[in-house]
Amino acid sequence: MTSVVSDRARPSVLSAPAVRQILRRNTYAAVPLAMLIVLFIVNAVVQPQFLAQHNWATSMSVLCPTVLTAMAMTLPVLSGNGGIDLSVGPLAGFMTVLISTILVPAGITSPVTVIPVVIVFGLLSGAINGVLVAYVRLPAIIATLGMYLFYDGLGTQVLPQAGGSVPVWLVKLNGSVGPIPAVWIVFAVIALVWTLVSRGSYMRNLLAVGGDERTSYTAGVNVARLRLVTYSMGGLLACLGGLMLTGLIQGGDGTVGPPYTISAITAVALGGISLAGGRGGLLGGALGGGVLFLIQELLTDAHVSVYQVSVVDGIILIGALALNGTVEYLRRRSSASKR
Amino acid sequence: MEGLSRSFGETRALNAATLRVRPSEIHSLVGENGSGKSTLIKILSGVLRPDSGTLVWEGEARQLGSPRSAQGMGIATVFQETLIVPEMTVRDNIYLGTDGLFRYGHRKGDEIAGARQALGDLGLDGFDLDRPMWTLSLAERQLTTVARAIIRPWRLLVLDEATSALDAQQRDRLFDYLRLARSQGRSVLFTSHRMDEVLGLADRITVLRQGATVATMGAGEASRRGILGHMSGREAHADPAVVAETGPRRGAAGQQSPQRTVLRVAELTLRAASKPISVEVRAGEILGLAGLEGQGQVGFVECLCGLRRPVDGQVLALGDNGETHIVRSYRGANRLGIRYVPRDRRYEGLFGPLSVFDNFAITLWGDLNWLGVLRRQQARKRFADFSESSRLVSASPSRAISILSGGNQQKVLLGRWIAMRPRVLVLNDPLRGVDHNTKEELYGLFRRLAADGVAIIFLSTEIAELLTLTDQIAVFHEGSLVAMLPTEMSSDTDVVAAMFGGDRHDGSADD
Repeated sequence: MTSVVSDRARPSVLSAPAVRQILRRNTYAAVPLAMLIVLFIVNAVVQPQFLAQHNWATSMSVLCPTVLTAMAMTLPVLSGNGGIDLSVGPLAGFMTVLISTILVPAGITSPVTVIPVVIVFGLLSGAINGVLVAYVRLPAIIATLGMYLFYDGLGTQVLPQAGGSVPVWLVKLNGSVGPIPAVWIVFAVIALVWTLVSRGSYMRNLLAVGGDERTSYTAGVNVARLRLVTYSMGGLLACLGGLMLTGLIQGGDGTVGPPYTISAITAVALGGISLAGGRGGLLGGALGGGVLFLIQELLTDAHVSVYQVSVVDGIILIGALALNGTVEYLRRRSSASKR
Repeated sequence: MEGLSRSFGETRALNAATLRVRPSEIHSLVGENGSGKSTLIKILSGVLRPDSGTLVWEGEARQLGSPRSAQGMGIATVFQETLIVPEMTVRDNIYLGTDGLFRYGHRKGDEIAGARQALGDLGLDGFDLDRPMWTLSLAERQLTTVARAIIRPWRLLVLDEATSALDAQQRDRLFDYLRLARSQGRSVLFTSHRMDEVLGLADRITVLRQGATVATMGAGEASRRGILGHMSGREAHADPAVVAETGPRRGAAGQQSPQRTVLRVAELTLRAASKPISVEVRAGEILGLAGLEGQGQVGFVECLCGLRRPVDGQVLALGDNGETHIVRSYRGANRLGIRYVPRDRRYEGLFGPLSVFDNFAITLWGDLNWLGVLRRQQARKRFADFSESSRLVSASPSRAISILSGGNQQKVLLGRWIAMRPRVLVLNDPLRGVDHNTKEELYGLFRRLAADGVAIIFLSTEIAELLTLTDQIAVFHEGSLVAMLPTEMSSDTDVVAAMFGGDRHDGSADD
């Protein structure tokens, strides 16, 4: 039969080493990806308007800050040794305040100036976390809690309620470009940059340090510098999340940030990433953010109150961690029995 | 290559130790537990920095800031612990640390070829480099850590017990590789707990004792007994009578009529590959446990007190009327009167602000209470008994324990367990870091306890201590009990020989 021929021809494409490597590196993402697909279908069935054209752009822009802060949380978690960045939410929230009440009134409104400011601010803020964790050797949960409180206080001090003004291009980033939600362009750019970074040795170093710090150090990895860079990139992603959030709420708000820290932790767990570090990738954080968003869509559709949503979030977080542990156990057991 | 020499001086763990490794030689570093081997190797690999002393590398004084800088200089190290990242592939584990932060240090094809070559040199031909590390056997993991070292451009390869998981064939393959490297002008420094490896492979041997270098000799002039003698600090043909002078031994006084057995270890297997252990401990007996680091003696102790489950076999506690109970858990062991004093109690067990008496009595209240009301009077009596018998020097039992000297603090901590009136007292290196006088007093205390019928199991890293205090010494090697030496008839050298896996304890037929 012809299928025999095509079966023979296919492996040369599918089993190309590069593809195999990508698949192997991302096996952890299988469970969140499956959850994402199932939830997507459930949403589409339950809410008929879910797939409507205008709803797409709105959904994506609501989703965007959740996904970006989740990715920001992912990197420190992967670096192991209790790595976490609690400051991602308030930092993103402070970004809305910075843009709408400081940059815009000062005449800095063009994307060419705003985006570099956001990037530099994110890198520096993350670098402070990185120095505290990697060189001062504070526990990450304490150091970044300090930064959380700092940005939370600063944001509400400057702008205790929604206000300020936003450049038009930033609002448009939350709309559509033709049929495509503009947010997709943002994701595409990040994916492109991340693909370039992943082609290098950064992920190998990161997963090694997260997997076994002593081994990495004695093998010659500069563990402290790696952590510094990792937290810096986390800060950068959190600030990009803040940038998108500014366009979404069309203004600044000192109180809008903190919930994103909690959603980011939940998303990381949902993304199949070990909270002990060393297993997972940036994609997991993104998928986890998507899964969390779709769950919340369903809850909103079912008219669950805000307070109950919080209860559900707690259950999801614990459930996701339990699921991670179970998947890991099954994976180990099946591989062990194969030997 | 110029003559390589390096010397260190570091206090405590290493006390002005000196080591010189020449180009194209295989050099072995030997010594007992705590002689400073590992410390020296950690300095050499850039993990630790010396307090003082210098490292001379190829004629130049150098400083090592990190493992990376040591590797940059050409020193590659395989550490005693098999250091791997379990989730990553074999290739990633081998090339770990050769990259920059974002840029790979090698092309992928070169990595695959290099890893194949290195593993092939070590006898793992055609190995799947994409397997995750945790799926490998222990021996394969260890060989991977060796491969990690040899793919680097090394001129000195340091192997710290790097053969512990290998079988004879794999070991020979590794040694062939090392000899080949030597013929290419490279040097190897290795430690091993197998004396036959040391004698079979090394060109020269440096012996460390208590952090200092005591001898460096060529392999030709070295004999098994000579090396053992240097390690233990006694002349090779030391007479047991000389050993006896180190302290009063338990003699006839302790050995009354045969006492009943209180603890029986039946066919206990510590590791899958080790031999089953059967031992009986009698009331009033002091059994010493010896072995190099990580040879199973700690695991044995943990099995005795229910902290660890053996691979196979049982620990049985025998009651006064001959009834038998199996020790299944730590709580169970406690109920049966088996009390375990762990190793790091100095920092874990002390409540600084509380009084001497409170520190002493804290474990007693479980027994000494009446419906939750503490029976302080009884506890005070036990404290009085204890402080008299241990010659505890203390201004007042109500003063804070932190004002006591270290030795007296140690006494209080031991007293806590002794006051619970154990049937079997299991001690894990209880006198480490205790001054000489306190040691003597505590020896007296242990002897009196034994005379009262308590069985004492005493794990120690100091052989002199075992020879002073115990009735018998059980020596562990690679998870098995390799020798049961009656203390009366054994010398320091016998114990060391057994620790290195020697099967004869007279050692006379050796040269």
